[in-house]
Amino acid sequence: MIEYLVFAAAFGLLLLGLHRKVIARVQLRPGPPVWQEILHALKFSFKSTWVPKTASATLYVGVVLIGIGIWSAALFVVLAGESILILFAIYMLHKIVEHGFGLSSGSPYGKFGGVRSVISAASEIPLFVTIAAIYFFTDSLLLRDIVAYQAVHGPLLLIAPPAAIAMYIVILSKLPYGPFSIVESKELVSGYKTEHFGVWRAGISVIDGTKTFVLLFAFVAIFIGAMPFWAALVIMTIVLVSLSFVCAVTPMLSPFDSVTVQGIVTLLMVGYAAVLWWVMP
Amino acid sequence: MPDIGGDPLFVLEFGDILHYYTPYTITLFLLALIFTGLAIASRPERQIDIAFGGDAYYAKETTVSEMRFRRFMAIACGLATLGAMGSGDLFNFTLFVSLVGIANIGIVAAVKNRHVLDAAYEYGIVAMVATLPLFGGAALVVATTGTLAIPALAAGGFAVPLVAKAFLALGVIGEGMAPFYAAKAEMFRAPGAPYVIMCSLSSLLIFLRVVEIVITI
Repeated sequence: MIEYLVFAAAFGLLLLGLHRKVIARVQLRPGPPVWQEILHALKFSFKSTWVPKTASATLYVGVVLIGIGIWSAALFVVLAGESILILFAIYMLHKIVEHGFGLSSGSPYGKFGGVRSVISAASEIPLFVTIAAIYFFTDSLLLRDIVAYQAVHGPLLLIAPPAAIAMYIVILSKLPYGPFSIVESKELVSGYKTEHFGVWRAGISVIDGTKTFVLLFAFVAIFIGAMPFWAALVIMTIVLVSLSFVCAVTPMLSPFDSVTVQGIVTLLMVGYAAVLWWVMP
Repeated sequence: MPDIGGDPLFVLEFGDILHYYTPYTITLFLLALIFTGLAIASRPERQIDIAFGGDAYYAKETTVSEMRFRRFMAIACGLATLGAMGSGDLFNFTLFVSLVGIANIGIVAAVKNRHVLDAAYEYGIVAMVATLPLFGGAALVVATTGTLAIPALAAGGFAVPLVAKAFLALGVIGEGMAPFYAAKAEMFRAPGAPYVIMCSLSSLLIFLRVVEIVITI
């Protein structure tokens, strides 16, 4: 069990390092080495660690453990082929974890990051419409059933491309340095992460790595289907590089523009789901 | 029994009223339990604020009486959320959801600040109005199918009107509006953790549960 978690966190961090590298190269900068995020996680693990005097101490520490816990659970949900509803519930609950990070420290920077995570909840709504669209085709939300459906009918990427695009945008909204990364933008120092340092920041790195791995792995399983593990890793990397290109050429939106764009995506997806509901037997 | 959240793990019967847990609802239940525990165990943050017109800043203190009331409301909110996660009866679900709304008003309204009270008042109006579609949705379901048991409705054979599902979802969205009021500029004046987080968590969890119910029935 633990080897899965370590691999997912390490590979996810490697993908995040690659993300930074691709963005830098597109912007004609050398960029950091691809293993930089892994080095960050290791470095923070050995730096001095304490709790700010103004923090709500139990929550400040507890929320790091909850973040690691929910994404570990998400990883096993995906590997066991369980209901994607659980996976997406965890994705949404991550919002509460971000909120908890931001509010627990007493810092205004963290608080603004936490509050932005609440208003960016608009990004989660396309996710549920995506789920509804998938359900219209597969009649099940168990990942193993969805994979089995694709083995017979072909990838959902081709059958329901709007749903795949919506989930692609959802993953984009969770990546750093992207158009929707308002929760940790630079005018807020590091947003909700600002006051978590030392081992707590290493914990956040583990959360980010596992989250990136799980979301990309789920995307591949839901929209492409069963394949050898190495092939899934290759496709995950390709999807991530494409996301990095989008991040590299797109400025970060203001919080209200970010919500507006995600709201428009939601409306389009609701329209698509309504059409499916109308035409599907 | 609904299976979109995985195979049922546990069913608790109270006569003809059921409580059931699937991997999906047990995940939500455990999260609500953990955060309720955190609300009990945590002391509030001491929010840092800037004094206008200079470089000074200060840490706000939460009085003991305010902390006790907000903690009580946060625990009540957590318990109502726990109930809503496992309920297999549509009417009980709507009751728990409206309790979540009331507790959320209490969490926000306990802060003795005019701006915060304004935000709480506005949210209170929305939450109260939202009870109409919420209970209306449940009433429509029972009027058209003769049952409120979610497992019975999920088993098929009933034509639940789309408008009833829409009313249920609309009611939950109204009750779950608290985080948006908690995110208003006025609320930056109030220390938030760990109590405001219960507003966000409970709102999110009831939303996640109603999605399962609406897809299932």
